[in-house]
Amino acid sequence: MHHDTLHRRQFLQALAGMGMGATLPLGHTAQAADSNRILVVVELTGANDGFNTLVPYTDDAYYRLRPQLGIRANRLRKIDDLYGFNPGMAGFERLFKEGQMAVVHGCGYDNPSYSHFTSAAYWHTGVPNGGEPYGWLGRLADAIDPQLTPNFLVNIDERQSLAVRAAKHVPVVFDDPERFSRKGLYQSRPLIDKGLGGFDASGNMSQQFLEEVAQSARQASEQVRAAWNQYKTPVDYGILSMDLPKVAAMIHAQLPTRIYHTAYRHNAFDTHVHQAELHQRLLTYVSDGVSGFMQDMKRIGRDKDVTVMVYSEFGRRPAENTSLGTDHGTANHVYLIGQPIKGGHYGQAPSLTNLNAEGNVLHTTDFRRVYATVMQSWMGANSQALLNGPFDTLPVFA
Amino acid sequence: MIFDMKMIVRNELISVALGLMIVLGSAQATDNPPSAWTNDLSALPAQAWNAERAAHLLERAGFGGTPKEVDRLAQMTPTQAVKSLVRYQNIPDKFTPFQDSGSHDAGLEPFAASRPAATDLAKAKGESLGVKVKPDGNRRAQQVADRYLYWLRASRLETHRLGYWWANRMLTTPRPFQEKMTLFWHGHFATTEEKVRDYRKLRIQNEVLRQHATARFRDLMVAVAKDPAMLAFLDAGVNLKGAPNENFAREIMELFTMGVGNYTEQDIKEAARAFTGWNYQGLTFVINPSQHDDGMKTVLNQTGRLTGEQVIDILMAQPVTADYMAGKLYRYFVREDLSPTMQKQLGQLLRDSGYDIAAFMETVLLSKDFYSSESVATRIKPPVELLISTYKKMELQAVPGIPDFNEQSALLGQKLFYPPNVAGWANGRSWITPGLLLARGNVIYDTVYPPINFVAPDRVANGLYQIEPVADKLSQGLDVTTSTKPEGKSMGEMSMSNQGDRDEDFNTRLASYHAWRKAIEKVKPIERATAQLQVSQLLRQAKCKTTDDAVAHLAQRFLSVKLPSTVQTQIADMLSQDLGTRNLQEADSYMEDALRNALHVILSLPVYQLG
Repeated sequence: MHHDTLHRRQFLQALAGMGMGATLPLGHTAQAADSNRILVVVELTGANDGFNTLVPYTDDAYYRLRPQLGIRANRLRKIDDLYGFNPGMAGFERLFKEGQMAVVHGCGYDNPSYSHFTSAAYWHTGVPNGGEPYGWLGRLADAIDPQLTPNFLVNIDERQSLAVRAAKHVPVVFDDPERFSRKGLYQSRPLIDKGLGGFDASGNMSQQFLEEVAQSARQASEQVRAAWNQYKTPVDYGILSMDLPKVAAMIHAQLPTRIYHTAYRHNAFDTHVHQAELHQRLLTYVSDGVSGFMQDMKRIGRDKDVTVMVYSEFGRRPAENTSLGTDHGTANHVYLIGQPIKGGHYGQAPSLTNLNAEGNVLHTTDFRRVYATVMQSWMGANSQALLNGPFDTLPVFA
Repeated sequence: MIFDMKMIVRNELISVALGLMIVLGSAQATDNPPSAWTNDLSALPAQAWNAERAAHLLERAGFGGTPKEVDRLAQMTPTQAVKSLVRYQNIPDKFTPFQDSGSHDAGLEPFAASRPAATDLAKAKGESLGVKVKPDGNRRAQQVADRYLYWLRASRLETHRLGYWWANRMLTTPRPFQEKMTLFWHGHFATTEEKVRDYRKLRIQNEVLRQHATARFRDLMVAVAKDPAMLAFLDAGVNLKGAPNENFAREIMELFTMGVGNYTEQDIKEAARAFTGWNYQGLTFVINPSQHDDGMKTVLNQTGRLTGEQVIDILMAQPVTADYMAGKLYRYFVREDLSPTMQKQLGQLLRDSGYDIAAFMETVLLSKDFYSSESVATRIKPPVELLISTYKKMELQAVPGIPDFNEQSALLGQKLFYPPNVAGWANGRSWITPGLLLARGNVIYDTVYPPINFVAPDRVANGLYQIEPVADKLSQGLDVTTSTKPEGKSMGEMSMSNQGDRDEDFNTRLASYHAWRKAIEKVKPIERATAQLQVSQLLRQAKCKTTDDAVAHLAQRFLSVKLPSTVQTQIADMLSQDLGTRNLQEADSYMEDALRNALHVILSLPVYQLG
């Protein structure tokens, strides 16, 4: 602990020496009054099977379509007269019953793509069936933070998600905070820490890009690492926490980050074959991770400031396949979670009897309504401008 | 102004370069390529050939080159140089084939889909994975659980050995273009051990990709469609007559040939039927006639009793397939941005060649466009290429065993035989994030100053699978239940409910320990030596006299972008201070460590990612 603070102090001294101390925001105190609000977006990659996540246990069609995979009512964690969570999801059950979870039903878009990569790109950009170079969270950051606060937009992953790609912000992307630092001997520090200028990068876009990222890395690495080293929690996040403890550490350290994107990685939810046990296990991890995170926010007194959104690039086909798994589908739930949320059901659950030619449900809620809701009602942005059109918000925020 | 600056830099470089000439041969300051070269696919004129362009060719068509290798290429005409790389068939390649450890045995076939599947079968049949259930006593199916996990661990360890084997081949091959293409195809037909769970199939796939690396694309596509690793990866085993599984049919259209948006969902459903019954037995491709649907199908408006091969022929006949593949090759080997017109032109080129990859690549690598300023030094090296080219330019004879190559490249986002998903690695800017850029510099640090606390991940489980505490408690004579109790928070509850050794069919934590022990007993260890690096020797060979010479030589050897004189001076100053002199001869007996530090600084520059 002593060791870490020393590092931090040295770093600050170094910055002051470089004339940067005054411009580097170290806490959210420097921010405007209403800017404590944080959005944490969690992606379940590979297309989560929504029908076996939140089961419509009174719908006969569900059991008809899933004679083997359908989860019987007596095994579910029922939340009301219509729905029950997968048996592995104690945390989600509790969050819903405490009124901290909005389930938005039937989220999707017209002419659905069944490609993971294409559909994920549609969700990441918020522009289905169109080309858009920047992500919806990147555009949101550019809109609400024109002063380009360092560390405003954070993506914890091996790779940068298209969701955070921005025209102006350089997202802070890292995986392991312990490794988010540069090794180098004492005598080389002046050269490697401030970066060696003098390169003519004009005309070489890749080189310009590398210099920008290097600059962002220099700004972020020390702070992220300090945040992680100073963070200790008694809260149990379960076995696979989707990097949410790292988010908690950064919120705890009062970094000026207002937008986080994390993921359950590697297409884990692509359950084509023998899915029952595996899927329940995946859901347990998600449920434990998210509910652990909410508890941790309460512990550090930031639960009023944080909203979590959980989504997948599409859902799965309501009918099980012949390999005891499920194939690519269309509409799915989006979960909005947090103390600021007015819990309950939003939107219409899609019909399981009126299916499209591929045997998939028809979406009932344009997913951009969810985006508009968090952009506008939570983050205070003009969603119409950011989503290239008006989308009605959902009344999920109290 | 800019022009003046360049003149100054050039003059300085020339004076420095005089000393280097002997080694670098025709090294010279390049004229800036005319802007008219951009998008011009006609051949580079022979008089425009020089060492810098030869180095660019080696970067892209291989894994970079030492000054000697660059010089050899620079002595040829551009046509000869490209041919010498692309038409490699006559270059003898005597690389020792991968040596199996002998970790697999027939009893493991067919390998169960999951641990529950293995133990359920054992319960029902009294036998599974080649071992019998004990007739009586506690944990009667323990050996079955052990065997299941054993093979998962062993196959993973063998795959890591295979990764090392391939990396060493990339480093030392006389046919770098063949390995580079094989790596490209590995990303294109991305198949991962994570799902295949059998290194033997991945080894075979690697050889299939190598054999067909520059063949006709149709032949490669057919070979891959029949490849056991791919069949396992895309669920061929459950693609059956009457119950088609769309996984392979979707990916062959979306990712392997046409690209998304050029077919309908119906095309996928019909194509899937054509591939029903395609499967493997052991390591051999088979078509199971009773599972094959030989009825009428319509794929992309062509109707007939289509077979899998015929579907592939239909895909090859689509103009978009040539456009898609030409674009993908171009983006990988030349540059990311590609206009639609250029893509069409390249597609036409590939189509006209009959999908002959060698002919297509020969044209691309010889084109003026390939040597235009938009192309040169603009490609962000994928992690494996970054590491291999670093070792190559360091003139290492083997991939270092310390630190672990697979771990290092994985840290940077790329691990051989473990692509992240079926779409392969995303390439380009996606390789770089703030975290990954720092990691790239740190990997260099760990190569020049290898960690002294290194633990071989193929010998020591090191927290993996939480087996060390189990082994520890068993050795103290504790019963299995006590030894395998989870540690930490839940300990209290567990010990309340469990007293003494429990009666059970098997114990998975015990199996995990047994499996690891047996796996490291069977699987050969990876050789562990640090990089045999001698920066001082490289500089002596180059006849460097001063610290300025040293930095200039290292920059020229390793970087694709010119080092500004101001930066060169700063690094040389640091080095001089470290050595206590600017004169290398004075420091000859002790200069290695300080030179490594200077090398680390140079290779930590953001521009080192470019090639």
